[in-house]
Amino acid sequence: MNRLCDSMEPRVMDDDMLKLAVGEQGPQEEAGQLAKQEGILFKDVLSLQLDFRNILRIDNLWQFENLRKLQLDNNIIEKIEGLENLTHLVWLDLSFNNIETIEGLDTLVNLEDLSLFNNRISKIDSLDALVKLQVLSLGNNQIDNMMNIIYLRRFKCLRTLSLSGNPISEAEDYKIFICAHLPDLVYLDFRRIDDHTKELAEAKHQYSIDELKHQENLMQVRLEDEQARQEELEKHKTAFVEHLNGSFLFDSMYAEDSEGNKLSYLPGVSELLEAYKDKFVIICVNIFEYGLKQQEKRKIELDTFSECVHEAIQENQEQGKRKIAQFKEKHLSSLSAIREESELPNIEKKILECSADISELFNELMMLEMQLVEQLEETINMFERNIVDMVGLFIENVQSLMAQCRDLENHHHEKLLEISISTLEKIVVGDLDEDLPDDLRALFVNKDTIVNAVGASHDIHLLKIDNREGELVTRINSWCTRLVDKIHKDEIMRNRKRVKEINQYVDHMQSELDNLEYGNILD
Amino acid sequence: MEVLREKVEEEEEAEREEAAERAEWGRTEKMMRPVEVRKEETTLTQEMLRDLEKKLSEIQIPISAELPAFTKDTIDISKLPVSYKTNTPEEEHLLQVADNFSRQYSHLCPDRVPLFLHPLNECEVPKFVSTTLRPTLMPYPELYNWDSCAQFVSDFLTMVPLPDPLKPTIKREEKVLLKKYTIRPPRDLCSRFEQEQEVKKQQEIRAQEKKQLREEEERLMEAEKAKPDALHGLRVHSWVLVLSGKREVPENFFIDAFTGHSYSTQDERFLGIESLWNHKNYWINMQDCWNCCKDLIFDLGDPVRWEYMLLGTDKSQLSLTEEDDSGINDEDDVENLGKEDEDKSFDMPHSWVEQIEISPEAFETRCPNGKKVIQYKRAKLEKWAPYLNSNGLVSRLTTYEDLECTNILEIKEWYQNREDMLELKHINKTTDLKTDYFKHGHPQALRVHSYKSMQPETDHVIEFYETARVDGLIKREETARTMTEYYQGRPDFLSYRHANFGPRVKKLTLSSAESNPRPIVKITERFFRNPAKPAEEDVAERVFLVAEERIQLRYHCRDDHITASKREFLRHTEVDSKGNKIIMTPDMCISFEVEPMEHTKKLLYQYEAMMHLKREEKLSRHQVWESELEVLEILKLREEEEAAHTLTISIYDTKRNEKSKEYREAMERVMHEEHLRQVETQLDYLAPFLAQLPPGEKLTRWQAVRLKDECLSDFKQRLINKANLIQARFEKETQELQKKQQWYQENQVTLTPEDEDLYLSYCSQAMFRIRILEQRLNRHKELAPLKYLALEEKLYKDPRLGELQKIFA
Repeated sequence: MNRLCDSMEPRVMDDDMLKLAVGEQGPQEEAGQLAKQEGILFKDVLSLQLDFRNILRIDNLWQFENLRKLQLDNNIIEKIEGLENLTHLVWLDLSFNNIETIEGLDTLVNLEDLSLFNNRISKIDSLDALVKLQVLSLGNNQIDNMMNIIYLRRFKCLRTLSLSGNPISEAEDYKIFICAHLPDLVYLDFRRIDDHTKELAEAKHQYSIDELKHQENLMQVRLEDEQARQEELEKHKTAFVEHLNGSFLFDSMYAEDSEGNKLSYLPGVSELLEAYKDKFVIICVNIFEYGLKQQEKRKIELDTFSECVHEAIQENQEQGKRKIAQFKEKHLSSLSAIREESELPNIEKKILECSADISELFNELMMLEMQLVEQLEETINMFERNIVDMVGLFIENVQSLMAQCRDLENHHHEKLLEISISTLEKIVVGDLDEDLPDDLRALFVNKDTIVNAVGASHDIHLLKIDNREGELVTRINSWCTRLVDKIHKDEIMRNRKRVKEINQYVDHMQSELDNLEYGNILD
Repeated sequence: MEVLREKVEEEEEAEREEAAERAEWGRTEKMMRPVEVRKEETTLTQEMLRDLEKKLSEIQIPISAELPAFTKDTIDISKLPVSYKTNTPEEEHLLQVADNFSRQYSHLCPDRVPLFLHPLNECEVPKFVSTTLRPTLMPYPELYNWDSCAQFVSDFLTMVPLPDPLKPTIKREEKVLLKKYTIRPPRDLCSRFEQEQEVKKQQEIRAQEKKQLREEEERLMEAEKAKPDALHGLRVHSWVLVLSGKREVPENFFIDAFTGHSYSTQDERFLGIESLWNHKNYWINMQDCWNCCKDLIFDLGDPVRWEYMLLGTDKSQLSLTEEDDSGINDEDDVENLGKEDEDKSFDMPHSWVEQIEISPEAFETRCPNGKKVIQYKRAKLEKWAPYLNSNGLVSRLTTYEDLECTNILEIKEWYQNREDMLELKHINKTTDLKTDYFKHGHPQALRVHSYKSMQPETDHVIEFYETARVDGLIKREETARTMTEYYQGRPDFLSYRHANFGPRVKKLTLSSAESNPRPIVKITERFFRNPAKPAEEDVAERVFLVAEERIQLRYHCRDDHITASKREFLRHTEVDSKGNKIIMTPDMCISFEVEPMEHTKKLLYQYEAMMHLKREEKLSRHQVWESELEVLEILKLREEEEAAHTLTISIYDTKRNEKSKEYREAMERVMHEEHLRQVETQLDYLAPFLAQLPPGEKLTRWQAVRLKDECLSDFKQRLINKANLIQARFEKETQELQKKQQWYQENQVTLTPEDEDLYLSYCSQAMFRIRILEQRLNRHKELAPLKYLALEEKLYKDPRLGELQKIFA
């Protein structure tokens, strides 16, 4: 650690240093001259070497977007930082520095080879993002806990590992332990792991490994379950009917309804509630299933549409390509004819013919394009009409189902009110048999209170239903609008691109011809 | 069991086929019913398989009887077995029955042609047709199914026209009988006939037939128009009828023996059937053949439709199987037939012909002399047995422009077992274009090679088995000025390379074509789309204009675009006004980009691209040059192969494979020697002692003991002698060595180095000999008692000294 460079003054990674390095490591000889003449952009650099430069802090590297290989070894870096932008990095060398913790590597998802040899690291972590990691060098550090090895199990591509020179490598079964816990490893500390060792290791640590595997499997299964659920929900969301395949909506109606909950303790109400819930849930499930069906229909509609549009565009492109190929053939022959022609008037005549050909091509191509635009517009409009109709129908049906929900609620409300009032009367008369919870009894002060309470509960329920309905309608409408907008926009983009392409091509042809003219005149 | 069953089936099949042969007869006799065009005559060949010949010869005999001048019967009758020359009583009986049958028949059907019942065989003995058939199972799987079997028979037969196509065979009949001849069931039959002359007209007829077979209807029409057959309906022919039912034969069909082709029974060219026979019975067709054979019902059990000669043997119809054991006769059935015959229960006698034997050589040779020529209309087909021609030629088809077969249109030659895997050679005489086709396995992976001359730098088209080549080359076309190559499945996606050559520059020191390749003017290379690269970086075509120092690139077109990028590099290096080399200027690279990109505008990028292309150009030129070399090499190799035309011999071909033959012989020799040695070791120790005693007498106990003792003492003496001999030699060597050593010590001072060397080498050799002798002596001492004991043991057990054992017992 007491390195020679420690005594020297740290240097800053500034523009000059980087430019110098890029220049030195860039193209040589003739290409180098050209490079010098033009200058090299940092973002074109693929590999950079900054070793033995006494760098203390990594900085100014954000421009090297496309860097694949970065060497920062033999410096005095203390912290891994400033590498966030180098997402294409494949090879990172930070050996012989003074790094204490692994950090700042979370964006380097393409990293395959990481060297942190001879640093001051004591714990292996923060490498989760490096899913492609193949080579990891952590020798000459201060890792002292064997459990760090288990962390490395998550790197499925890891084949080469070096950990020699760490406190753990002193341990008796260091090698066996690693071989057992990292069965895919091929090289450990720069040596190939022979099969015998592998077998030995497997036998020795079989128990703990099995347990580890079991846990990992459990975890995996849980993760997959979670994912599957998420996907399912996602699917329902695209159909705009999530959480309608159960009592979720009903439960949510009562979640914030304290009065309603209290009232449910009234005699006879719980049965009423039970029946109400059953009916309600049935309607919800109806909505849900209808929604999924509609979603399927919309998807088919959209797929058919995209396929047709794609076919039309393909066909059009083929025509365009054919036209261009024909033109090219003719053009080439007339160009060579012009070159061979010696008399000026003839040349001019031919050149004129040529440019006539070019504009003819332009017209033809543009006509094709216009034709396509018209056709597509018609199709898109048709699709738009259909999809809007479908959405409208869907909304209408959902609304009618929701209205049924409201009816149920109203019905329930009336019944509840009835029971409440009769209970109130009983209380007033004083011949109520059952005991009521105190907070419920508190509601039965007078008629207004109880009616208000029941009414509040009813309002909350209606509000929930309205909200759910409103959400659904808004979302599907906005989806529809966005879809149609996107289709229109895509088509416009496509059209612009094609027109630009045609213009560019024709311009190029024309300028080629002009150049020829110019050249001929020079001759 | 399996084999047996097969045999039975085989025979049944044979029967069916035989039955068919009878059918042929019928046709001829129906004069009103036009007979098949086919008329074929056979002459016997000499050295063919006798059996076949015999069988065939029977048929012929009628001819010879009537027209003795016609048949050249070269069979040596004297070697034939007795059954060929005489008739057994049963056969005589059968002939009588047949005569009787024939008489009744001609009485009942006076307007029909007499029956073909018992022609003379090659020994001029009348034999009933059914007895000429002998179902036989041959050891060749190829003969197991009718098609390949029929093909074999047809190869074997040679058609010789009759002197009079209408005047056929039957011996004693005066009625106009058309000529006919029967062919044996293909399975057991191979016959060979020497081809004699062929009358042109018959060639024509045959050619027509063949063409019909090939369904060349038009030509047929034309030919028929040209020559309407005057004898239509009058000719007689024999063919094979296969009845359905056995061995998965779904329906009845005919086999024509001369072509080996099968025909439906509905075929219009079969005009009628007179009679049928197999090796068990003989049937006459009683049905009207006005509509050719279309309405015939082949239910041989139906006595109204098919009049049988021997009753009982075939009571059933299609299922010939059940007839196996003739034995049972129904009296009722007999009525129509055997009026006064006593032959009700008469069985067909056993066939008089010998079993056919086809040697593997003969089988492979197929045709007589291994060669067969078939003349078709405007075409000639020649066939040879494999290995007959030293260049592997097995068949040749020559097509002619005219009917006289003088102007050759094209020749196709098929080869087999060629080491260079040549399969077919096609020569088009009009264009002079030759095309060679190869099977998999040519050292250069050749598939097709077409050329006009073997000279390099002329027109050649060479196709390859691209999977067998590392570079994926499919095809290479060469002309005097261009070379085009097509590729497939290369990792660099190259699909096409075209090189244009300029006129060759004359070199003063030109020695050969290789050292002075044609200058390359232009190389065009095309590539398939590489899906790993974006389209605008994936080159579709690059053109190296070598002479103009230009390189043109055309890129692939992106999926959603209609135009493709291109780029052109002018690569002549120039020097600017100050004399500095210009590395790269913007006008050295003209590019059109569909979607302009920033980095491609850079000179550095362009420079690097150009450098890369320059390297590529060098490589491509080298490739072209190598291709040229390869063409030369291929042409050379082809010429050598053509000159050598070596044939491959399968390692299973024990007859031809010299190596395996040698090996086998060596093995046999070793076995033989081993055997001799064994015989030696089994020398009889007792023989000399037994010889002293009177022979043939049983030994007494006393004699046995004495014999044993003598033998043992003799053996002991010999062991001692041997030991003494070794000892003596050992001592002699030792003495000599000592003497020599003495001599050496005395003369040591005066010896020359050569002498000393000599002495030393002598010493070492002597020591070696002494050591060996010592070892042998020791070994002998060790083994002698054992050998002695072994002999004693052996003597005890010797049966001749049985008395000894009694003593000990």
